[in-house]
Amino acid sequence: MLTQQKLKQKNLLLSWAAIQFSLLLLLQQAFAGWVIAIFALLLLYRLLSVFKAKAAISLKLVNLLAGIIAITFFLQLQQAGVLHFMLQILLLAATARLLALQHLYEARQLVWVHYFLIACCFILHQDMLIAVFILLVFAVNLYSHYRLFSPSVSQVNWLQTGRSILIILPLWLAMFLLFPRLPPFWQIPNANIASTGLSDTLDPGSIEQLVQDDSLAFRVEFDGALPPRQQLYWRARLYEDFDGRRWQVNALRKNASRQRAADTTADSSLSYRIIAEASQQTGLFALATPVTSSSNVFISPSGLLSSNKPVSQRLSYQVSSSLTPVVLVSEQEQQLNLRTAPGNPQTQQFAYQLKQQYPQSHELVQALAEHFRQQAFYYSLTPPPLGRNSIDAFLFDSRIGFCSHYASASAVILRHAGIAARVVGGYQGGNWHPQQGYLAVRQREAHAWVEYLHNGVWQPFDPTAAVAPERILNSLDSALPEDQRALLDPGWRQLALLQNVRQQLMHLDYYWSVWVLGFDDTSQRQLWRNLYRHLPVIGYSVAALFVLVMLLLLYFRVRQNRTDNTPEATKQLYRYLGKMLAAKPPSLPVSAFLLQCAKRYPAHDIYLKQLTELYEQALYKEDTEALNQLKQLLKCHKAELGRLRRAIKNA
Amino acid sequence: MLTQLHNVEQSLNQVILGKSSQIRLALCCLLAEGHLLLEDLPGMGKTTLAHALANSLGLSYRRVQFTSDLLPGDLVGMNIYDTRSQQFRFQAGPVFSQVLLADEINRASPKTQSALLEAMEEKQVSVDGETRALPTPFFVIATQNPLFHAGTSALPESQLDRFMFRLSLGFPDHQAEHQLLQRDSSTSRLELLTEQLNTEQLRVLQQQVPKVTASDALIDYLLALVNSSRHRSDMLPLSPRASKAILRAAKAFALINQRDYVTAADVQQVFPYVAEHRLAPSSDAQESRLSQLLLLQTPCPI
Repeated sequence: MLTQQKLKQKNLLLSWAAIQFSLLLLLQQAFAGWVIAIFALLLLYRLLSVFKAKAAISLKLVNLLAGIIAITFFLQLQQAGVLHFMLQILLLAATARLLALQHLYEARQLVWVHYFLIACCFILHQDMLIAVFILLVFAVNLYSHYRLFSPSVSQVNWLQTGRSILIILPLWLAMFLLFPRLPPFWQIPNANIASTGLSDTLDPGSIEQLVQDDSLAFRVEFDGALPPRQQLYWRARLYEDFDGRRWQVNALRKNASRQRAADTTADSSLSYRIIAEASQQTGLFALATPVTSSSNVFISPSGLLSSNKPVSQRLSYQVSSSLTPVVLVSEQEQQLNLRTAPGNPQTQQFAYQLKQQYPQSHELVQALAEHFRQQAFYYSLTPPPLGRNSIDAFLFDSRIGFCSHYASASAVILRHAGIAARVVGGYQGGNWHPQQGYLAVRQREAHAWVEYLHNGVWQPFDPTAAVAPERILNSLDSALPEDQRALLDPGWRQLALLQNVRQQLMHLDYYWSVWVLGFDDTSQRQLWRNLYRHLPVIGYSVAALFVLVMLLLLYFRVRQNRTDNTPEATKQLYRYLGKMLAAKPPSLPVSAFLLQCAKRYPAHDIYLKQLTELYEQALYKEDTEALNQLKQLLKCHKAELGRLRRAIKNA
Repeated sequence: MLTQLHNVEQSLNQVILGKSSQIRLALCCLLAEGHLLLEDLPGMGKTTLAHALANSLGLSYRRVQFTSDLLPGDLVGMNIYDTRSQQFRFQAGPVFSQVLLADEINRASPKTQSALLEAMEEKQVSVDGETRALPTPFFVIATQNPLFHAGTSALPESQLDRFMFRLSLGFPDHQAEHQLLQRDSSTSRLELLTEQLNTEQLRVLQQQVPKVTASDALIDYLLALVNSSRHRSDMLPLSPRASKAILRAAKAFALINQRDYVTAADVQQVFPYVAEHRLAPSSDAQESRLSQLLLLQTPCPI
């Protein structure tokens, strides 16, 4: 018995330590390195003491230790932020409690703090797989909760834990569907994770890195049909500063006042919803000229979308775009895009020639495309390194490169030819999943192209399309020679099965983000509206269900009555003394228990003895007279019963 | 008549000190017309109990010391050729008595053991094709040494089953033993015992036992208790004969306690002594682990 008790405690301690380790892992984003180290040390100490079967540490020492750590946390409050500070304190409380665990009520508190911390994990993570992991941690906590309250004789197993989760599931779903979506109570600080996606600088090489990244950038659902691939240019960045080697986003753009687009005059021919992955950047994506968007994103005058804070969680927004080129905003913008950088003399020479040959900017761009098409230019992800005059080296020497080389060179030529031009960074194309009905755009679809000013609008021009039209029409893979495709696909990705599993997981993840994460106020209102519309149907089905449940209950009741052979005397006693009898050890006969109670509550001694006498007569002798007397005795002494009940309650 | 029974109980308590519950259970066994198996170390008062019981009930008493060379004929008797009358004459063995003390039953050979057990079950013996009825009441008190003692052959499960009760007297407590030593001789006390209840009265009492009321709910509880032994690997299942014995013992127990109905508490009182040697034949009579476990694990809703 004793060993079993000990083992049970050991199991519990281990499961709690495991829960806290998982919490530490899940919340590590919120903690600095030294904080994690402190927690890991405390937990390791606890584990060691469990295995060596040492007693818990004295409360005084733990209090002192926790106090010191809490003060250090408080001193770091400025850096950590209030939310992270709270999380740290909570986890510290749980860990300290685990270290000094001695009583049952302390264990109960611990389990509840765990529940809260587990819920807190959702502040930082909304990923499907991580959600599954969090649920697993939750299940372990629930299991330990069960174990805590189970008598040592009966074995509580996982089945029971699972059953309790199943029982609560409908309530859980109802809460999810109907609970109002409140705005956040506090500002969630940005985690210091490296941002992903396009950067503010474009130089040969930056896109190349992205191309090897197979992770998802964003997903798109179109309200109508999928537009042709040639139109799928997702604009994300404008690179307007060129220093002779690399392109940069202009400082003005970075700080540009974010103006909500109120312009609805332009016709919006294409409406779609984008679910952007977390990138820790504010920049977002749209096709051509975005006209309207949902309220969580802004449209800048130059047709770029941005969110008002870095995207740290998956973000979903609705956009409608007009498939017309972006309009010139101001004279200043034009001036900005006419600046040229020194160097690259050959390129300058080439630009002047073109300008003289084709005075019309439109024709000049056509000629440039023709130049790329007819001369021996190649598309490759492994271009040779370029020298100081990189544009010259590329245009007249190596002639091997990928989108950023071509875009960069074209923009430089156009600027030297006196045409305002800029490099646009974004994504091109995407993977269409017809069954799920969405377009998945991965980081490897990153692309760069050119916009030049013509008749007051920024005409897009993609020189890569001239060199490698397959890149635009199909995908990156098809534009590359065989030996370079391996660059995109590391060995394991080529396994068909794994690829398939990955694909299915991605689809699942899509539904997760649409149906679970994307379930916001609007969806909720929509749900209510739908419910309201189908009110009669719902009413009838609820009524039918109600009747069915009642019938089932009635059936079981009747069946139970038929099989229930509890004697009448016992039933009567349970009816009046149910609460008292609940304390009866299961194996003790009722009359023996009543006599025990008579001894314990001498004030009710006579009454209880009388009850016992009549009960025994009625039950064991099947004496109907005694049964009637018993009923009388129970009925007529309600006051006495009440006093007895109170006495038990106070005991 | 119950008062006389109480007198018997009291006078027995005078002779065997500090063992009132065992004495009550022994009487209960007698009333229920069962046989009693006493398992104890030598010198714990087994013989005294048997003798005292016979004396105070005015029953004829014989004692047989079982040894490994005891033959069935020594026990039940045999036909002897009488040279005077030129006929075979039946010489009755010690089994023809009302109280038979079979001392150290597990030291005899299985053959002799089973002759006794047959007599216990049938209440008659057959010698050379002639069946002879045993006197009534016929009450066997068998004693056995704990099994680990040398030169014992254990009673098989099927025969242990014939004993309704298995009891162990155990060591007396300090006070009782002190009192015992102060007295000159216990045998003298034994002889002082007078007949408190005659055979006819005992028969009437025994006939009252089956008439004690056992309600449906009580029988359900008893069955639940018995059933709980039937799906386990750590004990032998209790047979219907066992459940009959438990009910009968509980009824006798209720009667001794001057009630004409059986309560669940009665069942719980007698259960360990009736069930333990059926659940685990080789267990020690001092402890009743398995039956206590069953009692603890079977809920008693009434």
